[in-house]
Amino acid sequence: MRRSLVLASAAITALGLLTGCAAEGDGQDSGTTTLSVAALEGGYGRDMYTKVIQAYERAHPGVDVQLQISKSIEDEITPNMKAGRFPDVVVLGQGRKAALTETLIKDKALEDLTPVLQAKVPGEDKTVGDKLIEGIVGNLNTNPYGDGKTYTMPMYYAPTGLFYNKGLFDKKGWKVPATWDEMFELGEKAKKDDVALFTYPTAGYLDSYFFSLLADIGGEQFYTDVMTYKQGVWRTPQARQALDLTARLLKYAAPTTVGYANEQDFTKNQQSVLDNKALFMPNGTWIVGEMADAPRADGFAWGLTPLPAVTEGGKRYITTSVESVWVPAAAKNKDAARDFVAYLYSDEAAKIFAASDAIQPIEGVAGSLTEENAEFYKVYEDPSVAALVGGFASTAPVKGVDIKATLFDTANSVISGDKTLDQWQTALHEASEKLRQAGG
Amino acid sequence: MPGNPSGTLPPRTATRRAAGPAPGRRGASGSAPRRRGNGLFVLASLLPALVLFAVFMVVPTLNVFRMSFYTWSGFSPDMRFVGLDNFTALLDDAQFVRAFQNTVALLVVVTVVTMGTGLFLAAVMTRQRLRGRSLYRFVLYVPSVLSVVVIAAIFSAVFDQENGLINGTLQALSLDGLRQVWLGDQDLVLWSVAIAMVWQSLGYYMVLYMAGMASIPEDVYEASALDGASPVRQFFAITLPLIWQNLRTTLTFFVMSAVNLSFVLVRAMTGGGPDGSSEVLLSYMYKQAYTNSSYGYGMAIGVVIFAFSFLVSLLVSRATRREPLQF
Repeated sequence: MRRSLVLASAAITALGLLTGCAAEGDGQDSGTTTLSVAALEGGYGRDMYTKVIQAYERAHPGVDVQLQISKSIEDEITPNMKAGRFPDVVVLGQGRKAALTETLIKDKALEDLTPVLQAKVPGEDKTVGDKLIEGIVGNLNTNPYGDGKTYTMPMYYAPTGLFYNKGLFDKKGWKVPATWDEMFELGEKAKKDDVALFTYPTAGYLDSYFFSLLADIGGEQFYTDVMTYKQGVWRTPQARQALDLTARLLKYAAPTTVGYANEQDFTKNQQSVLDNKALFMPNGTWIVGEMADAPRADGFAWGLTPLPAVTEGGKRYITTSVESVWVPAAAKNKDAARDFVAYLYSDEAAKIFAASDAIQPIEGVAGSLTEENAEFYKVYEDPSVAALVGGFASTAPVKGVDIKATLFDTANSVISGDKTLDQWQTALHEASEKLRQAGG
Repeated sequence: MPGNPSGTLPPRTATRRAAGPAPGRRGASGSAPRRRGNGLFVLASLLPALVLFAVFMVVPTLNVFRMSFYTWSGFSPDMRFVGLDNFTALLDDAQFVRAFQNTVALLVVVTVVTMGTGLFLAAVMTRQRLRGRSLYRFVLYVPSVLSVVVIAAIFSAVFDQENGLINGTLQALSLDGLRQVWLGDQDLVLWSVAIAMVWQSLGYYMVLYMAGMASIPEDVYEASALDGASPVRQFFAITLPLIWQNLRTTLTFFVMSAVNLSFVLVRAMTGGGPDGSSEVLLSYMYKQAYTNSSYGYGMAIGVVIFAFSFLVSLLVSRATRREPLQF
């Protein structure tokens, strides 16, 4: 008797341990649609999402929106995705370390969202496409395969460029350089005052810098050629000029740059701008919030400028970071997902997002900005400055080849003298050719 | 291979071994239903552990081997069998070779330094009745209970190039010429990581050795002292041979844990940088499998790591094999 009791309890323990693995409920039969939304908790916080979802649920009583939000949302949703359980809507841009969006693009695992552009915004007369500002869809960021179909919808946009201390420029009577010649002149001037011309938080922040520089030098066509791995593009004189200018600029880099250019210490590089030890760094508008509590020099005020022009009066491009929202091809409630995505562009939702400084690419939204932010968005008003969206085109994954790392991280080696300009160019050429062969 | 893995307590083990078969024999002579009942019970008790082991250890490991023959991004149903392609590509991948070299360098240097220093400190603390040794032991042990993120933050402060602990001290001593950019110099960054690894694991192994040394009877030392043996002689002639089995076990553990520790520390401290100069095998595997969407390629690196750790452990175990000594 006692033994059977022991046996039974052992069996129950065993089963109990196993149920942990098996427990998974799908409460789908209650008549309401459960829409699962996953979002990255970025610098804008999480409140705006809960508010938008509340507003959506009020208007759509039959839909229950489950929000999953985290600063490392990839880590939380990928285990389920590997097991075949996909969220219906994901708000997550490209350029993250985990590269989840990029991976799904490479995999062709995203739902075609072109119909959303033609769909009317729920509760409004205009279509989503009508409300978006011009040029924000149709680039490699939203149409990654270049086939006229939109797979990721632009969610928030923000200018990235060179951030600097306006107060220091006023105090010293310096002018923000408009051409590269002026830039290097300023570098010499600043050197005498023990201020370095340039720094970067980590080499990865050079992305916006390089994209703009390539477009500044060779125009949009050349930029697209580089991004789509056109044959021999890194052997062109334009590419060489971009690397030359960069190598020259890196000679003016703050001496501490490389030592702090890691995940742990990158804020110390950002701090060097706040401390007037370095003049410019490539960054995004989130820097204001990120360094809000950091000590700073007297009279400090954030300024943002596009890269200097290559030739006087030449066109300048400002790399614009665009967060994305997308629907996995394996999502269960695609119709509800598309409706929800369309709703995100409604006036009601845009107002909630804008209150958290998350600016959607909707006509007229930038007018409702706070003062500091409005300053940044002013860069678009200069007629010689154009927005540049995109990034490297997606290819099938190539083993051991990461062209972003080759282009950006090598800057660390160029500063320290571990690699030469020629080695840099050759490595880029090889990486680009391999990616092109994989199908750009 | 002797049946006693720890080797520190042979007499007691010998008793256990002698007593071991007795219940079994008694069971054999008992009634048949009783024996089957026992077997069932043992099986039922083992089952949860076996199932967990199979589900969480055996299956994933086999999966790593299987996936290394495929090209797969990690999500799509689209998997392509490519045979040994992933492995041949590894040979041409300069970054992989660099990561491999870094891993081997870390493994050798960190193992030798940690084991050597750990043994030395343990011997000093057990044999020389140092004043305040429990405080030293405590201080040295603390790092092994800290999380890696904390360690990375601590070393970010230690290695800071401007006002870090090391550079600050050097400056205070007017040795400005010796100041280094510890995490920014490509020739130094790996050794900076090595320092953090030694710091993290030293205390743990020291405590293990102290436990081994404490079990050596005092009279052995007294007898040798009467014969005129110096402490150094005692260490090499008595302490080391008597904790040898202990040392072997920890060495194998350490080789395996160092591979993992190097990954977490590199991820937290340098991210493999600057420009890949502190990349180790596991961090490169992670980058390829997840960031670069080459899951199969990453798994091929995983197989290399598995084979490498296995081989190193085997070599270490073979090279250190000795007849176990008893006291």
